Amino acid sequence: MKNFELARPTTLNQAVMALAEGEGAIGGGKGPAALLAGGQDLLTELKEHLAEPDTVIDLGRVPGLDAIERDGAGNLTIGAMVRLHQLEEHGAIREQMPVLAQAATSIASPQIRSVGTVGGNLNQRPRCWYYRNEASVCLKKGGLACLAAVGRNKYNAILGGGPSYIVHPSDLAPALIALDAEVTLVGPEGERRMPLADFYLLPREGGISTETVRRPGEVLTKVHVPAPAAGTRSTYLKFKERESYDWALSSVALVLGMDGARVNRARIVLGGVAPKPWRVESAERLLEDNEIDPRTVAQVREAALFGAQPLAENGYKVPLTKGLITRALESLA
Amino acid sequence: MSPTPKWKPRGEMTLLNTGYARLDGPDKVTGRAVYSHDVRLPRQVYARLVLHSYPRAELTSLDLEPARRIPGVVLVEAQKAAGDELVYLGDDSIVAYVAAETPEAAKDAARAVRAAFRDHYPPMVTREQSLSPGAPSITGRGNTSGARDRGDEAAVDSALEGAAVVVEQVYELPIQHHVCLETHGHVVDYDGESATCYASTQAVSGSVDEFARNLGLPADKVRVLTPVMGGGFGAKFGIGLEGAICCLIAKKLLRPVHLMLDRPQEFQMAGNRSGTWVRMRGGIDAQGRLVGQFAEVDRLGGTGGGAFPLMPYIYACETNAARTRSVHTALDSNRAMRAPGHPQASFAQESFLDELAYAAGLDPVEVRKVNVESDVYRRHLDVVADAIGWDAHPNRTAPGEAGADGWAEGIGFGLATWRAGGRPGCEVEVRITPDGAVTSSCAVQDLGTGSRTLVAAIIAEELGLPLSAVTARIGDSDLPPSVGSGGSVTTGALAPALKVAAHRAREALEQRLVPVLGAEVGDYEWVRGRVRVAGEGDMTMSFGEVCALLGNQPLSVRGEYDGSLDADGSLHGAQAARVRVDTLTGRVEVLDMVATHDQGIPLNRLALTSQINGGMIQALSYGLLEERVLDAEMGWLLSDNLESYKIAGPKEMPRLRVILDEDDGRNLATGMAEAPVIPGHSAIANAIFNACGARLRSLPFTPDRVLAALAERA
Amino acid sequence: MAKRPREPRESDPQGPDLSRRSFLVSAGSAAAGSVLAGGLAGAATAAEAQESTDGRLAGLVNVRLKINGEQRTVAVEPRTTLLSTLRHRLDPALTGTKEVCDRGNCGACTVLVDGRPVYSCLQLACTLEGSEITTVEGLGSPDDMSDVQQAFCDKDASMCGFCTPGFVVATTACLAKHAAPDDATIRHELSGNLCRCGTYPHIFEAAASAASKSGGRGR
Repeated sequence: MKNFELARPTTLNQAVMALAEGEGAIGGGKGPAALLAGGQDLLTELKEHLAEPDTVIDLGRVPGLDAIERDGAGNLTIGAMVRLHQLEEHGAIREQMPVLAQAATSIASPQIRSVGTVGGNLNQRPRCWYYRNEASVCLKKGGLACLAAVGRNKYNAILGGGPSYIVHPSDLAPALIALDAEVTLVGPEGERRMPLADFYLLPREGGISTETVRRPGEVLTKVHVPAPAAGTRSTYLKFKERESYDWALSSVALVLGMDGARVNRARIVLGGVAPKPWRVESAERLLEDNEIDPRTVAQVREAALFGAQPLAENGYKVPLTKGLITRALESLA
Repeated sequence: MSPTPKWKPRGEMTLLNTGYARLDGPDKVTGRAVYSHDVRLPRQVYARLVLHSYPRAELTSLDLEPARRIPGVVLVEAQKAAGDELVYLGDDSIVAYVAAETPEAAKDAARAVRAAFRDHYPPMVTREQSLSPGAPSITGRGNTSGARDRGDEAAVDSALEGAAVVVEQVYELPIQHHVCLETHGHVVDYDGESATCYASTQAVSGSVDEFARNLGLPADKVRVLTPVMGGGFGAKFGIGLEGAICCLIAKKLLRPVHLMLDRPQEFQMAGNRSGTWVRMRGGIDAQGRLVGQFAEVDRLGGTGGGAFPLMPYIYACETNAARTRSVHTALDSNRAMRAPGHPQASFAQESFLDELAYAAGLDPVEVRKVNVESDVYRRHLDVVADAIGWDAHPNRTAPGEAGADGWAEGIGFGLATWRAGGRPGCEVEVRITPDGAVTSSCAVQDLGTGSRTLVAAIIAEELGLPLSAVTARIGDSDLPPSVGSGGSVTTGALAPALKVAAHRAREALEQRLVPVLGAEVGDYEWVRGRVRVAGEGDMTMSFGEVCALLGNQPLSVRGEYDGSLDADGSLHGAQAARVRVDTLTGRVEVLDMVATHDQGIPLNRLALTSQINGGMIQALSYGLLEERVLDAEMGWLLSDNLESYKIAGPKEMPRLRVILDEDDGRNLATGMAEAPVIPGHSAIANAIFNACGARLRSLPFTPDRVLAALAERA
Repeated sequence: MAKRPREPRESDPQGPDLSRRSFLVSAGSAAAGSVLAGGLAGAATAAEAQESTDGRLAGLVNVRLKINGEQRTVAVEPRTTLLSTLRHRLDPALTGTKEVCDRGNCGACTVLVDGRPVYSCLQLACTLEGSEITTVEGLGSPDDMSDVQQAFCDKDASMCGFCTPGFVVATTACLAKHAAPDDATIRHELSGNLCRCGTYPHIFEAAASAASKSGGRGR
């Protein structure tokens, strides 16, 4: 790990200014400043010299970022510094948004969930072994090509790939997008709020050295989750190669508004299969106004994987994800 | 000299043949056990190796000056010179090494070393690359070696004309890593005249000469200390190039040098279980008897030879032939790893026999019984088949299918063999002081198997003392010598020496009792800390009172290995696995594993159970998850940490049952490190097939392979 | 989509038939050809403790950490992890906490921070002022073991012992959270720790046994 200065701002404004100063015009990659929230991803990036900031900005002393607030209507505002275990253990989240509680529980390990934060989870960098291997100068690190695309790629993207084929590693992101969550970003030019779905970028949309639309100096401060309508059921199913502790080979965040046995509103967002959380609206439409019967399930899973373009070693993710969608739908039927 | 001692009948043992807690437990569970990694000596420096990250690169320039300018750096030296070729990925990748006052400064210095390479050579890290026409020779001696033809392949083919079914298939196993949690390394404390070496080693006595040679000292000036060590599994015999470099630095600085590999280096250069490619062809008759078998084996041990036992493995087949060779790649040499070659052979042989059985519509358990020579195997198969519920299982002669929910459940089997017992090389000193303190000493190392506890337990059993009354001293080359711990020999080599020393100590004490209690030597009973004349009523004297008879002269006796307390012969074993497979997603869950092995005398039932559990778990991990991954074109090792090289964790654990073999009446002392690690992954593969008809012919059984096998079936 | 590795052959770097490897390596970045040479890493300077007006820490700084109930002042760099602090900066060192992977994969470095299990290799020491840090040494000693430590001994839950401190701490955290955990809960709470010898089943037994003994107080 390269040595750095540790900035310890006590207001959000100080943090934003420090980050803006550090990031300047340089976006993503090895910026000279980096934000430290829980540090569970950042420290691995620092240790592997994927990030070599001169300044690390510790958000630990900035007030107001570490609460889960619930208004009278049941809408949640989740601070970026809320720890992952708080989501797992939060009564209202467990009851009304099982998809989010289950996604949080599926992340890494108890030790990571003790300190890992919501903001950190949403902003974490990819796990692709070429990206993480310091020796390889892959596309995301300024190289000429995605080395996974023509190398070893069993964990890489089957949807939305090209020219980079990473998968976004966040488990919270698919769950929160399925819940129609929005995020607040605070930067030197003020505050903006957007659907979380719009926060992520595909490589072909410019997401090569970064995975998000975050601008230099911007800090993700809050996540807003609207209260699910009455009758909403949800689940997060994650397939880990090693169940104990692993990233998703594939995951399904499923949120269904139900009117008896009939689905009136559906959100299906896939994780682990694309460079960003992969919402499949065509599949959602096949569910709406239908019951979860075998025929519908078969149509939905085919639609969800329509257009998948596997690489040499990850074709299995197509049937695996179809199987996972089936299991998720069955569990809510 | 009294006649050679004999092991007591198991029923008369009071400590051995029971389960008892290991002596170093309290130190380990409270963090007080000091491993080589934990040694902190005054003036100690931290050394670090600098490795290049792909093979077959030519070093064109090396600049150490930036590293030397790092504050706190004490030494920076080149291991390679400009113009040198780095032939293989492994210890040959060491370009330079550094030493510094702190680990951080050493890391900074290692990164500051500037090296440039010409690296356009094809990396040659796969079997296919090495065997392709016109492939360059990696070491200059050709890419294959050790080729051997055995038997007559044509005779096998004629025999197969009479077979009921014939199968030909290829089975492949990737390279596996030992994953010792304590990485390789040592602390060498050399003062110019003598040295103390804190070594993470499986061979305390055996390391002395190697350290001495590298330090330029006579062996009697070198002391090796290994009170505890964090796992070896076969990878920690020699001191390694890291040990040699540690000695070099120590000589140069005359300061204690702490040199441990980091985790990526451990994966790159600290050994592995060789990969294997096996083509099998053979057949069985209508009764399931093997009528002919041919095996073609490529051992993939990198620059090493790899390991693979004779085929047929375990099963008998009169008409057989095998063609074996090593295929070399530009990777570090394989090293011994628990039962070298056997888990690989087990997977090929057990999968192949299973395929034949189902192809003939026969019960695979019955087919196994028909083809083994020893009744012990038939007995073991019955034990595990009964425990796993085979008789009540619906698919015994054909694979099952998934239920409406997509899940399928199946059972599979595998057998194991290993050589029983030990070999000469251990000596033990037992010392008893007049105040009743008993110490048992041997240089032997404890890799986690429980050898420290055994060093005390056999003495305690002999003298009728509680385990806590005997102090065990081990892991010190100044103590009486020991064999290294490999091939399950430690217990078989150590226990007889302990027994002989214990017997001599008891007789020496009984000599003091002759004038006091009147009976001859050999006519006393030692029970619960007291002694009496055999067969007479009350216990007469306490152990302390007996020791007081020594006056002011402590008693010291030595014992050495005695083959009559060990035994030649074989270890056997059978394991069964029950799995369930999600045919929708390719998930394999191992529900239940059962093992039985003929262990001779169960010297410590608790430690023995731990050891057999450990074997099953490592095999499960091998079967479900483990795979060394390289980029064949770039030569990079991609699986060089514990995130990308996956080993089984808590949630992968099935119900695990160890059924100690109470019918094995052999009075032999043997280790149980190898046999239990051999068949578990084979049993799991066979269970997957039994569940749903998906035949997994390569490891690990990850969803990509399971879904492909399911698709192939359809 | 993907191509198979081309047949290996000695390629002339000047020749027309550059492999993907030599092409990518030579054209990709200078760093690819000399992976050893990272940037000249920021060296530890022995500067006096520095805390500028905006709270920035740089160089060698003194931090006050409460470890096993004791206030310790220790000099660290901003980059120094808690694991490195325990094992290398404290004098005498606390080496019960093990370094195995140094990247949050294995659990051998698990300690409690304010009662929760964390990977000490993924914590910066200077962010932990004011926190209660408990290492395996703080849970008990060989003469005065906690219920969890005693249960690990009784059930033979350690073999080589290198993963054991991390498992003892993780088990202690599990029992602090669940008074009477079932088997699935125990596995879930221990799933951030790895063992290579294969002690898992005995660890599960030890956790259940310690829970029944201490009623979940973990001691």
